[in-house]
Amino acid sequence: MDALQIFLDILSFDVFLIVFAGVLIGIFVGAIPGLNGAIGISLLLPLTFALEPQHGILLLGGIYMGGMYGGSITAILLNVPGDVVAAPAAMEGYPLTKQGRAKEALYYSIFSSMFGGFIGVVILILFTPPLASLALEFGPAEMFFISLSGLVVIGALTGSNIYKSMFAALFGLFIGMIGISQVTGTERFTMNIPELREGIEVVPVVLGLFCLAEMFLNIGKKATETVQYEDQSIKRMTVVSQILKRKFLVFKSGVIGTCIGLLPGVGTTLAVFMSYGEAKRTSKEPEKFEKGNPEGIMASEAANNATVGSSMVPLLALGVPGSPTTAIIAGALIIHGIILGPDLFATRPDVAYTFLFGMLLTVVAMAIIGAVGIKYFSYVLKINIMYIVPVVLVFALFGAYSLRNSMFDVMVAIVLGIIGAVFKKIDVPLAPIIIGLVLGPLIETNLVRSMTIAEAQQVPLLQYMLTNPLAIILLILLILMLIVVVRLRRRTG
Amino acid sequence: MKKFTRTGIVLALSAAVVAACGDNGEEAPEDTNGDDNGAADEVETDDDDEDDDDDDDEAAAGDFPEEDLEIIVPYSAGGGGDTVARIVSDHLGDELGVTVNVINQEGAGGEVGITDMANSEPDGHTLGVFGYPDNVVLENTVDTDFEFDSFEYLGAFDEVPHALFVGPDSQFEDIDELVEYAEENPGEVTVGESGALGLLKVLAFNDLADVQMTPVNFDGGGELTNALLGGHVDVASTSITSYDEISGQDGAPLGYAADERIDMFDDVPTFEEQGYDLSLSVSRVLVAPEGIPEEAEEALSEALDNLGESEEFQQAFEDANLPYRYLDNDEVDEELENNNETIQPLIEENEEDF
Repeated sequence: MDALQIFLDILSFDVFLIVFAGVLIGIFVGAIPGLNGAIGISLLLPLTFALEPQHGILLLGGIYMGGMYGGSITAILLNVPGDVVAAPAAMEGYPLTKQGRAKEALYYSIFSSMFGGFIGVVILILFTPPLASLALEFGPAEMFFISLSGLVVIGALTGSNIYKSMFAALFGLFIGMIGISQVTGTERFTMNIPELREGIEVVPVVLGLFCLAEMFLNIGKKATETVQYEDQSIKRMTVVSQILKRKFLVFKSGVIGTCIGLLPGVGTTLAVFMSYGEAKRTSKEPEKFEKGNPEGIMASEAANNATVGSSMVPLLALGVPGSPTTAIIAGALIIHGIILGPDLFATRPDVAYTFLFGMLLTVVAMAIIGAVGIKYFSYVLKINIMYIVPVVLVFALFGAYSLRNSMFDVMVAIVLGIIGAVFKKIDVPLAPIIIGLVLGPLIETNLVRSMTIAEAQQVPLLQYMLTNPLAIILLILLILMLIVVVRLRRRTG
Repeated sequence: MKKFTRTGIVLALSAAVVAACGDNGEEAPEDTNGDDNGAADEVETDDDDEDDDDDDDEAAAGDFPEEDLEIIVPYSAGGGGDTVARIVSDHLGDELGVTVNVINQEGAGGEVGITDMANSEPDGHTLGVFGYPDNVVLENTVDTDFEFDSFEYLGAFDEVPHALFVGPDSQFEDIDELVEYAEENPGEVTVGESGALGLLKVLAFNDLADVQMTPVNFDGGGELTNALLGGHVDVASTSITSYDEISGQDGAPLGYAADERIDMFDDVPTFEEQGYDLSLSVSRVLVAPEGIPEEAEEALSEALDNLGESEEFQQAFEDANLPYRYLDNDEVDEELENNNETIQPLIEENEEDF
């Protein structure tokens, strides 16, 4: 099959239909608290068996792309991020909603998502082989340093009171510690509950802290206490020109998202918070963060959609899935007898190229659906909160359950919902908890791996960890970030 | 009025999504049609032949199945175990004339899902697919609610032998060079593995070759492959099905732990050929909780035997890059009991490592 034919195939009606359907489903599952792209993809996985393989993975790719954006809709409108990657969008977007600037915030989100998604996919198309070898360079030592810099970001990130932020981070690290220790095999805080052995999943924690806590606080409020927001109208082009004024920020966030999105497992979460922290660092108005600074939305939304493209780099180039979502996409292809990896471009160019260029289409579809849909999304604000609370509660609990069909996760979500509500009352920031939870196990296991390997090679730990030039660069970056964060805190008080 | 419409839309949408997801979630919606037929079958006997024609095939072994089936998979969607479950559910559903739903119930290295299988109603409508010997390893290393005999083993579908791989530019060309080096430098060779079973495989090889290589744990197959290809570990201990992705990146297999070469990987030598008598495979099995009615077991075995002979079924496995090997109800019992005799002593000898 030659390039022209592949190109024509991409422009066919079928492909458009599939891409739009995928993105639309993705936006819906992303917007619904508790459901995310990964869940949407596993629900639709069986359907792809009936489609042509290249169409099947485009459908899933569309859900992935749409899902990354969708979470920010409820985050901005209701302060309920549909997914952890939308948490910064809630931190900046909801204050804007309270100021009557909901539509504006939504436009910032969709257009930044579009730019970010575009950067990620273009980099995927142009630089897959070199990026794949970069991803391979990340061994235990490198992963250790980069995860540690993620913890440093907390300092830049959030909260007026550094001790409250530190407490939140430690609380997150504590939750992450529950389960069987990789070091000694001993059980930590598992209380003989089998579900606790594997540790606590991130999704129910996010649902509890962000969705349930917000809803719990709404319960019992009198109608007069809930604010009925007025919504100012805004021209799309005004927002686009605002974004273009900060094109370097958006571009930088897209690149951060792309690079960190390469890392298996935690790429997306880390990328989102790192570019958010970076936006705050470089902002002319860092004091406006968490009070509704559009720069925070631009950075985090550009970063999370950029990870969509880059998390597929290891999958396409090496056959190694870089995130749970891409693992399911790989599974969908395997069922069709298509083995991912470097040979894919030689053996099935139709699948490989349709997918690559089709992913560009998913960005376009996301932008169109998002930009047209915002008018309708913002109707949510006109619904009385007393109707919203039960709906969100149902979805959040259902989402916690559906992750692995487990009532245990529902319990986790409820308990953390209560804790989250208390923390909100006493102004403990919630984002550091998630960062601690995600990074803690990563820091620990990679340190242990480094120790094991260093011992096997009979060299001191530090010598092993700094053999690779990349590790040295990462360590220097880590130290620079520490200095910058300390300065930033002095500046903002 | 407008407000009500909007609220209505939101509620209707949410109901639709919940209903749609519920489909895939806990329980399949009852097929009312099927139920009517089932009830009719019970009441009437030979009076009405015409009506019954459709159901004759399925009802041959009694009234099983009375409703849709469920297969619990203790792993996440997209992995090898999940792929097997989905192929089986597809074909078994066609064979029995009902829908077979796959439910992923991951957690605690498979323990959560396998426990649920063992505790489910033994009526033949809830089945499970997992990779043997995950259950045996769990049973012997943590305090589980199930044991080997908690299940009826209905059939096995594949045989995925354990293998050792080296990365690009490795100093080891074959297994002898690796063993020789490991003998001279105890503890120095690092072997990446994932999961309790991965660790077991490294220890088994250490025991057999009488060497000491250092296991390094990774979170999953993807991470492990990454570490091998990036040169962060010397050797990877994983299943032979990683052959394509590893050899595509200039890595190479040193051998695999099967009694004889399997067709899919017949250019790779087994350990046994190279003088190391080790046979260690994962085999995906279809199980039911023990004590299911005889008629259900018969109906399922018969359906599985039909699948076992079907070329289409075999092709689905080969397409998915899984080495197909069908064992029926009797063969699977024999095979697994044999394997237990190899695995249990291995775990007991190395208990402190788990």
